[in-house]
Amino acid sequence: MMSNTLYRDVAVSVFVLLALITLPFASDNLGVRDFIIFVSAYGLLAMSLNLLIGNTGMISFGHGMFFASGAYAFALMMQSGQFSIPAAFLLSVLSSAALALVIGAICVRLKEIYFAFLTLAFQMLIHSIILSWVSLTGGDQGLVGGIPRPPFLGIDLSDNLHLYIFSCAILLACVFAMRQLVTSPFGYTLRMIRDNQERAAFLGIDVFRMKLIVFVIAGSIASVGGIILALFVSGAYPNFAFWTTSGEAIFMIMLGGTVTFLGPLIGAIILTMLSDFVTVYTEHYGLVLGSIILLFALVLRRGMLDSILEFWDRRRAPSASHELAGEAAVDARD
Amino acid sequence: MLAIEGLQKSFGGVKAVSDLNLRFPPGSITAVIGPNGAGKTTLFNLITGHLRPDHGRIILGGEDIAGLHRVEIVRRGIGRGFQVASLFSSLSVEEAITATVLSHRGQAGIILRRFPLATSQARAEEIMSLLGLLDVRSVLSRNLSHGDQKLLDIGLALALEPRVLLLDEPTAGMGPDERWQMIEKVQRLWRSERMTLVFVEHDMDIVFKIAETVRVLRGGTVLAEGVPDEVRRNPAVIEAYLGVVHEEGRL
Amino acid sequence: MELETLAACVASMSCVVTQIISGLIIGVLLFLVASGVTLIFGVLKVINFAHGSFYMLGAYLAYTAYVVTGSYTVAIVVGALGVALFGILFERFFISRVYGSNVLMQLLVCYAFILILDDAVKIIWGSEYLSMGMPDAFRLPPIRIGGGFAPPFYLFLIAIAIAIGFALWVIVERTRFGKIVRAAAHNGDMVSALGIRTPYLYAAVFGLGSLLAGAAGALAGPVRSLTPGMGFSILIMSFVVTVVGGMGSIAGAFVAALLIGVTRSFGSIGFPLFVDGLMFLIMTLVLIFKPTGLFGRRFA
Repeated sequence: MMSNTLYRDVAVSVFVLLALITLPFASDNLGVRDFIIFVSAYGLLAMSLNLLIGNTGMISFGHGMFFASGAYAFALMMQSGQFSIPAAFLLSVLSSAALALVIGAICVRLKEIYFAFLTLAFQMLIHSIILSWVSLTGGDQGLVGGIPRPPFLGIDLSDNLHLYIFSCAILLACVFAMRQLVTSPFGYTLRMIRDNQERAAFLGIDVFRMKLIVFVIAGSIASVGGIILALFVSGAYPNFAFWTTSGEAIFMIMLGGTVTFLGPLIGAIILTMLSDFVTVYTEHYGLVLGSIILLFALVLRRGMLDSILEFWDRRRAPSASHELAGEAAVDARD
Repeated sequence: MLAIEGLQKSFGGVKAVSDLNLRFPPGSITAVIGPNGAGKTTLFNLITGHLRPDHGRIILGGEDIAGLHRVEIVRRGIGRGFQVASLFSSLSVEEAITATVLSHRGQAGIILRRFPLATSQARAEEIMSLLGLLDVRSVLSRNLSHGDQKLLDIGLALALEPRVLLLDEPTAGMGPDERWQMIEKVQRLWRSERMTLVFVEHDMDIVFKIAETVRVLRGGTVLAEGVPDEVRRNPAVIEAYLGVVHEEGRL
Repeated sequence: MELETLAACVASMSCVVTQIISGLIIGVLLFLVASGVTLIFGVLKVINFAHGSFYMLGAYLAYTAYVVTGSYTVAIVVGALGVALFGILFERFFISRVYGSNVLMQLLVCYAFILILDDAVKIIWGSEYLSMGMPDAFRLPPIRIGGGFAPPFYLFLIAIAIAIGFALWVIVERTRFGKIVRAAAHNGDMVSALGIRTPYLYAAVFGLGSLLAGAAGALAGPVRSLTPGMGFSILIMSFVVTVVGGMGSIAGAFVAALLIGVTRSFGSIGFPLFVDGLMFLIMTLVLIFKPTGLFGRRFA
């Protein structure tokens, strides 16, 4: 069976966190730190989306709306000057969770393609609201004016180093939480729902409730990503809520892999690196990036980490099992 | 344990099941046989709640469960193995069975602990051992051989601790040796778990070997019932099957 | 919100007529694009996310044809057929490889294509806004209709689009090809079992769908400015139309497209910042209350 060792995951998390924290002291490169902060934000978006897509088989086209709700809620609260950062953080996540609860309750009932389109519709509706409600959100300019960062617990987020460590810590805490979810009985229940919803329901599983719970959790974690991005760019902008944000999250998942746990995070790293690389070396961003993605889609046919895993598996035995969070049956759909 | 009274179900004018009366004593093992179209699968679907009867009662342990929702019926202890195994393709054998046991125990929603929980693991071991699936415990459901898939399908039903287990053609699609192995496992699990077992089967030798009682359905009603020896000598049964032989060229 | 302006418009016949006509313009263009999406989805069960780019390509090809030949008719034909050909190639070489795969993989392939196509357009035609300008045949004074005025080209556009829509209906409902298409939409396996060469069928259907998008782009040329990003917004809108109309229903696409077109037209007066929002609100309500759309049938 899976080695779902709690201890191993804790050890790995701590180790990685320490490595990330010592990085700035080893290298002065601000670019690397910024890269990691950016990837943390989008990584959380992609990983949380994969809780829905890879783990539960719920393809959401509108996940970006929670990214935006986190960013805007946080930025608004901080700009109001009436909240400390921890309070604003918590309240932003909670309000995004509430949003996810309401929207999820409406969407989760629908199947597959209708679920996908309804989540998209809600996201674009929210985008339109953000654009129109100029007095609250600044309209298409976004929430400019920066985000005040009163220090808390000795942490000053206007210091790039502090922001960096903060983002890393938050990233790892969330990843650990997702790991726990995916390796818990609940995680397996979700995969049962993904593989054979009929039979899962037959077993007495309350499919609606399970899907709603994971939808809310995924939305909450996405909102955390949004908060990090808001801090990073010092504002909140309508394009956070545009469908392209959800699209990017999906591409990250596809590039990194839906099956392996860390696939989406790797995908976030790959896509961000690719984009940065391509913009530096050529004007023809679309051509190059598009061709590379085409290569992935048509040749590899699965994400990077998934391909590595499959290669590894083939070298062992044909029908060997593997130590992961289960294979995505998403491919073998109708 | 399970009694069918006056059960009736039509599909657009065609009587699939017609005034059916059957009794399955607790702990019994019964084979339901009959030519194609006799109403066997419809009967199972009616019992498990996949179909609603037009008339009649289905009494499980004293309670009429006809027309209840599928999930309710499962909760009351009716388990089913499907003709085409209905599995969780990406889960391994032990994962699937353990997860099913967990759901049965209401632990499907636990987030703060790691899978598997020790007690459910123990029960899963039992089931795998009973069905001879220990060798393939780590194989993904979708990579299993046909026979093992059917076994796993039964295993998932077992994990719900059914009082009545319905097996829809457990040996379908298997070669002769495999069929015997399968049916022996079915017999073994019946002896060990002591539930009321009803199975649909086409292979007469198998039926007559292990069933205590045989019920022959035809055209939606009971043609004959009794212990295997009686049934195989019953002229009406022979005629029904000979008729079938003429039509289909096989028995 | 500009409710007084909206009220004033509704009270004025000429304003109402003008708005309805511009609504119809948007509507018929959307219909052509969306009918392509819905046709491709109905038969091939693939959501062609690159459809907006086909629209864009049609516009650009038509632009060049018009610049070169001076004939708008040629431009329309070039736009439509050029994109049809492109669509067939796209289907044969790329889409056919991801038929069985999960929808996200198809999305990825289409997205890659959008990136490549947008860039290619930028390279070939440049990224500044291009304007086809009104073809000479239509440089006529506006026609008076029911109290309002309509540029003749608008009426031409509406007429042509409806004609194309009608032709599409005839093809699908009255020809043998159409029969096969409808059969394939219901049961793809059956059709290949009947000996019909599915690769040709699929390519033809995809080509037809692309042709519609290309034609829409070419028809839009005189009234829209061309820019490499023009595919994006029409893509999203065509999805709204497809969903609202019912996936796989061409009649649905027609009704939904006109509905959305007119909503946007009046909406841009009353709720100038929330025009898109209105559209998504409609989409949301339809998905909640009738997910299969106005005319949708359930595909099992």
